[in-house]
Amino acid sequence: MTDSSHRLYAVVIAVVVFFVSWAAVAAKPWATAKPDPRLAALAQREQRLRADAKLVQQVVDQRLAAYQVALKTRKAQIATAQARSLQVAQSTAAPAVRVVNLPPLTITRTS
Amino acid sequence: MMMRRTFRAMGTEVEVLLDAPVGERAERALDRAESEFERFEQIMSRFRDDSELSRLNRDGRIEGASPDLVRVVKLALEAREHTDGRFDPTVHDAVVAAGYDRTFADVPAESPGPPPSPALCGGAVHIDWSTIELGQGTRLDLGGIGKGYAVDRVAELLALAGPCLVNAGGDLAVRGGAWPVGVTDEITLELTRGGIATSGRDRRHWRVADTEMHHLIDPSTGRPADGDLVSVTVVADSAANAEVLAKAAFLGAVVDVPHVLVTADGRTVLAGGLA
Repeated sequence: MTDSSHRLYAVVIAVVVFFVSWAAVAAKPWATAKPDPRLAALAQREQRLRADAKLVQQVVDQRLAAYQVALKTRKAQIATAQARSLQVAQSTAAPAVRVVNLPPLTITRTS
Repeated sequence: MMMRRTFRAMGTEVEVLLDAPVGERAERALDRAESEFERFEQIMSRFRDDSELSRLNRDGRIEGASPDLVRVVKLALEAREHTDGRFDPTVHDAVVAAGYDRTFADVPAESPGPPPSPALCGGAVHIDWSTIELGQGTRLDLGGIGKGYAVDRVAELLALAGPCLVNAGGDLAVRGGAWPVGVTDEITLELTRGGIATSGRDRRHWRVADTEMHHLIDPSTGRPADGDLVSVTVVADSAANAEVLAKAAFLGAVVDVPHVLVTADGRTVLAGGLA
């Protein structure tokens, strides 16, 4: 190999070493990455919403349970009332009348 | 203690009897009964221009009708079906044509004429929730059945205060207790539940062009009904049903409930299990 070849190799290696060093320095591996404040805010918001949703779900579950209990009670009341009114209706369906020999309290006449 | 209150409503004398301790509660119940009659009259009177019924008859259609009007019209249409048209709420124009076009107190006992023409009955009536629509040229008269319905509803209200009887010019209902009701001079019926109504041509009659008129229209002819009956009194499970059956029986229907017929020759016939 000639001296000129050695020089060329040396220059190429120097250039490569320079660019690698430059890239390494430009990457600032010593600096810690700062988090994006917007991402942090979004993450916070997400956490808050998840917590709120959990609370709301708890309230909904409680209210649904209370409603279901009230509904069951009301249905039972309605069934009882319907049974009672059916009994009354059956007992009062037919008119009860007889001819009597009493002074009338009122009269019926052509309306 | 028997409390009695009388007042005028729905074109007739209303009598309310309540068997309850004298006091504020009973008085309130009687006040409520009176105001209920006023309310029903405001809904169903054909003589009040601003009543719901008058608006329906004028416009042929009413939206947002009160539940009571819807209920009575439904009852009337069911009655028309069950009585094969003998009871018909669409006799309005026939009643008016016969001369009963104002409150009965203002109808002249005799007017010269011309003789009234018959009017068609049996018109179409459609109900869709709270909307009522009348067929072309159809108008409703809910006089009798409306009064029966009002009597039944008021009796139900009063029953909360005690045994009661509500009598609106012959349409009466009782709730609780036993109530002797005079039907004729000789016959008294004791009613413990249900209602009584009397239909006839012995009252509410007048003459037009020397022709005797009365308010009981035969829907098949559109004229006041002919026949040898003067009045029919019917006992039924409610005053409204009694009113329907009395009218049907007056027009010749056979009814299977207790009833009393008074004929033109003065006979009184007890039927339907009465003895």
